Amino acid sequence: MVGLNEEVNKIRNGVLRMANTFDPSVRDFLAGRIWLRLHTPFPIETIDAHIQSQHIKTIPGIKTTKTYANQTRHICNRCENTIQSRFTTFDCAKCEGPCTYCRHCLKMGRVSTCTELIVWNAEQPIYPTNHTLAWQGILTPRQQQASNELTESNTKRIPHLIHAVCGSGKTEILFEPIHKLLLAGKRVCIAAPRVDVILELEPRLRAAFPETAIEALYGGAETTTDSAQLILATTHQLYRFRHAFDAIFVDEADAFPYTAEETLRRAVRKAAKPEAPVHFVTATPSDKLLNEIKKTGQISTINRRYHGHPLPIPRYDSLWNYTKHIQKGKLPKKLNNWTEERLRRKEPFLIFFHHIGLMEQAELLFKQLDTRIHAVHASHPDRKEHVQALRNKEVPGLLTTTILERGITIPNVQVAVVGAEQLIFNKGALIQIGGRVGRSEQHPSGDFVLFHHGITYAMDDAKKEIIQLNKGGVPN
Amino acid sequence: MNDCLLCEQKIASVPSWKALLALEKQTAICQDCSKKFQRADIKEEDKLLDQVTSLYTYNEAMREYLHQFKFLQDVALASVFANELRTLLKGDPTIVPIPMHPEKRIERTFAPVDELLKSARLPFTHLLEKTGMEAMGEKSKEQRLAVKPLFRLKPGTSVQPSTYILLDDIYTTGTTLRHAATVLKEAGATRVEAVTLIRAER
Repeated sequence: MVGLNEEVNKIRNGVLRMANTFDPSVRDFLAGRIWLRLHTPFPIETIDAHIQSQHIKTIPGIKTTKTYANQTRHICNRCENTIQSRFTTFDCAKCEGPCTYCRHCLKMGRVSTCTELIVWNAEQPIYPTNHTLAWQGILTPRQQQASNELTESNTKRIPHLIHAVCGSGKTEILFEPIHKLLLAGKRVCIAAPRVDVILELEPRLRAAFPETAIEALYGGAETTTDSAQLILATTHQLYRFRHAFDAIFVDEADAFPYTAEETLRRAVRKAAKPEAPVHFVTATPSDKLLNEIKKTGQISTINRRYHGHPLPIPRYDSLWNYTKHIQKGKLPKKLNNWTEERLRRKEPFLIFFHHIGLMEQAELLFKQLDTRIHAVHASHPDRKEHVQALRNKEVPGLLTTTILERGITIPNVQVAVVGAEQLIFNKGALIQIGGRVGRSEQHPSGDFVLFHHGITYAMDDAKKEIIQLNKGGVPN
Repeated sequence: MNDCLLCEQKIASVPSWKALLALEKQTAICQDCSKKFQRADIKEEDKLLDQVTSLYTYNEAMREYLHQFKFLQDVALASVFANELRTLLKGDPTIVPIPMHPEKRIERTFAPVDELLKSARLPFTHLLEKTGMEAMGEKSKEQRLAVKPLFRLKPGTSVQPSTYILLDDIYTTGTTLRHAATVLKEAGATRVEAVTLIRAER
């Protein structure tokens, strides 16, 4: 018995001695992350010392296996990409042999066969348990119920889907469940497929949780050595996390590219701890997601906006041959009148286009009505500024691609879709676009017009679903 | 059908007889992306270089391309200009790529100019080697003109009294190429031409 105790003590001392030698800032940064060995914010010697003392584990960047047919199959250990066409093999001057790298997550620093990834391999940091929820608003009974159900799912560790119409106050529903997780010292992530959504969420969450360490991660955000307890991140940024979170909330779960990309889905799963639930919040869940959650988790549905007013029903208006008109340098009359009406009534507006080229041709024509009208798209350099200018009422309206279809709130905004028959405007996209209208209590309605060159099933389906939701029905 | 290497979109193929008979060349990038590169097509003579050909201007698209190719180390992008380099360079004269310092090459894991040629399936010979570690891009014009010889002949190689074509990615002041040409001419080359993918504004 004494001998055993001695053994235990010896091991404990050994562990303690090891544990004493690490740098807490390295732990705080690396815990839950999977990072390039040579590109950390710390000196290379520090990282090497931690690898030596086994506080940090190294993992090869690319795992290559052989299939039964003797074909090589690569897996990226960072983004877990398995699409073989997204790998390139070349003669590497560093490892002097054929070396494969992943093109999928290239922009975060190349991961190749001879690149080493590092993960934290020792005790996890302990997160604070003192947090205040400063949000003063009151939830509607439906919101409150969804919020309670979500907390319940967190305790049960099962996935939860909040299926709530646009403008029903989805973010507010999350506050209480997140607060409870934070109080328990859990690490939480809110992920969204688009930067715009993260940028809109960040100030709201910072205001709601003033004492919590919050970090927003997106392409172009400054990297720090912080290790916040509450992380807001674009789904792409989750490639760099591994077994980090006790719960992940995926906001606007159906937005491109999340549903489109299996790899991103796996990245979300990988970023969560193995037992941790991944929740979804969206107004337009795909059938696949609905079926999945029905089997494994819980769904809360909210079909009323927080102010109780119905969703705006889309109005069809034909705009025959709009492409030709715009290419000839003429703004179609109906579109012209609609815009002039908005300008006269000083109502902010968004006009959605399916194609950047066409939108930019139209931009010149719109500028003849008002020079302050701008066009924005995903890679537009001033995208953030233009959207902010619309919020500040410095510009009367914007032309946009589907990037602004979700997550943004502009009081009294009026919305038109040019070319609603285009494939990119599927049911989900149209419902989301319509969801921009009438979000504020002061202006609970507004015009939502679909200018089209023919009516599609997607348009009819979207209209049908909105009417059904307004009647109080639960969409299937 | 493959994806565009730059924008990751599917490359829309236009149905044609050529495509049906598999005579059409596979392109690595889509029409939209290739339109963003601006042709320069400069052909000029110089005291030391018998002919300098540059294909593209250094515009925003090209800056991004070089960034992804050289600094993000996306070797796959070597194939973007493969068809074009092949059409321009296939033939007799020996192609001599501007070399990288061996240490720099290991650091970057590949030599971009070599990869351009490999991807274009063009044979090439390394006749030169770098004397120092310095990069031209970090110097001012005065500094560039004052530097000691940048290259020397690679030990164990010989230069014939014939034509050589130097290949480099970018031409800014031409100092690099003139240094290389000087070495080759002093070793007995009769004619030294140069081809660069990009011509930058001075």
